[in-house]
Amino acid sequence: MSHPVPELSTAEIKTLRRVYADLKRLGESDVPAVRAAARAALALVAQALNGQGLDYELYSHNWK
Amino acid sequence: MDKTLPRGYWNPATETMPRDRLRELQWRKLQSQLEHAQAGSPFWRERMDAVGISPGKIKSIEDFQARMPLLKREEITAAESVAPPYGTLPSVDPSLAIRHHQTSGTSGALPVRTFDTARDWAWAADMWCTGLYGMGIRAEDRAAVAFGYGMFIGFWGLHYALEKIGCTTIATGSFDSEKRVQLLLDQSITVLACTPTYALRLALTARQMGVDLVKDGSVKIVVSSGEPRPLGTKRAIEESFGAFCGDTAGMTEAATIFMFECPEGEGGTHIIESDYIEEVLDPETLKPVDYGQLGVRVMTSLGREGIQMFRYWTNDLVVRRPHGDCRCGRTWDFYEGGIQGRHDDMRKIRGVWFMPSMVEDVVRGFPEIDEFQCTLRMMNALETLVIQIEPRAGIAIGGHVDLQSRFQQEVKRQLSFTPIVEVVGSGVLPRFELKAKRFKDETR
Repeated sequence: MSHPVPELSTAEIKTLRRVYADLKRLGESDVPAVRAAARAALALVAQALNGQGLDYELYSHNWK
Repeated sequence: MDKTLPRGYWNPATETMPRDRLRELQWRKLQSQLEHAQAGSPFWRERMDAVGISPGKIKSIEDFQARMPLLKREEITAAESVAPPYGTLPSVDPSLAIRHHQTSGTSGALPVRTFDTARDWAWAADMWCTGLYGMGIRAEDRAAVAFGYGMFIGFWGLHYALEKIGCTTIATGSFDSEKRVQLLLDQSITVLACTPTYALRLALTARQMGVDLVKDGSVKIVVSSGEPRPLGTKRAIEESFGAFCGDTAGMTEAATIFMFECPEGEGGTHIIESDYIEEVLDPETLKPVDYGQLGVRVMTSLGREGIQMFRYWTNDLVVRRPHGDCRCGRTWDFYEGGIQGRHDDMRKIRGVWFMPSMVEDVVRGFPEIDEFQCTLRMMNALETLVIQIEPRAGIAIGGHVDLQSRFQQEVKRQLSFTPIVEVVGSGVLPRFELKAKRFKDETR
């Protein structure tokens, strides 16, 4: 017995990837509060992409 | 109250992915992990150089398993000792860490120290989410976490996962057992997380308080972790709470869990194969064993960026089964009965293999026994197992001889050797909240 397998739409995948790219850019912001929020959010979005088998990146070593 | 558990997948795409695609996903992640470790970790760079391998030369998962040496715990602590706390292991600057954890070191060995970046911690919590959601935990649940919240990683990841799912999460670190029982009732707690040993202790405390947790409580799911949990213990917990007891297992070295029990296959704990490559090896030959055979679990984590674990010899004894033997629809294989014991706890007693969890399984079939301890001794030049049992309070002393005899016969029937059984008084044996120690070997 298996259960419903909801799938991301093409538009949702595109949005998820765009959000990831946007957060990555904001993660370099000079404003401490914005930088911190973006990095925390980026970690969650990165895992959403990983969990769906879409994208996988080990990125933190690139942070300044 | 309705205790029906909802069903579903946290990440449907990867949990139901066809096996060939799952293998491709693992391979892509493994390549990234190897390249990352070689670039950033002196420990892994030296290790790969020493055996003449590099990420570009490894052609497949099978090739990786054939050429990458097994990693032992002592090698981790030795690498960390070079420059504490993390030594040469990290692949990123440890200043990127947002958390530090370490093992307790209670066994006398050096503790394993580890850290997580924000990215790694989000991944770790998500591994817990995969298990908790799969067990049936949802945003409307109210959860109590019975855990000390120290440096030991324990249920930290579970706490964050509960919050991520959207549950109301209550940390009960400073509570005693009576206060926790009261909380279960006052707060209509539907999820309880603790070790299996502590779940039984809470059930005992409730009985002593005159509380019937099945009738008066709301707990639907007991999430157990931290110790091997034989089926007899699972059933005793489920009967005490009127709830599903779902097993999980993780380790400090992995930062999170690698398996969780599926409510659709009693005792079957799915391996989170999207994020781990797991091997089961014969401890003597170090060759892979077939499905259904007992062996030692060897873990490769595909999740973290801070510290890598390639082919880590865990000492956990497991029996792997193919995913199709569970009807939940996941394409992830599972371990039958979770972690069955520790390879370093295995002993041969008069020609018969023995693990402490086997005794626990027998004990849980005797609701009149509250606690037990096993000691292996040389007696008359023979290895002999002495089992002390502590009857539940209220059982007349006149019944102890009968209990002793019935228990001894049951151990003999199930384990194929006869132990010495001693009955001790109420409150004599130690109680545990975390990592119960119920086995002593005086022969070594």
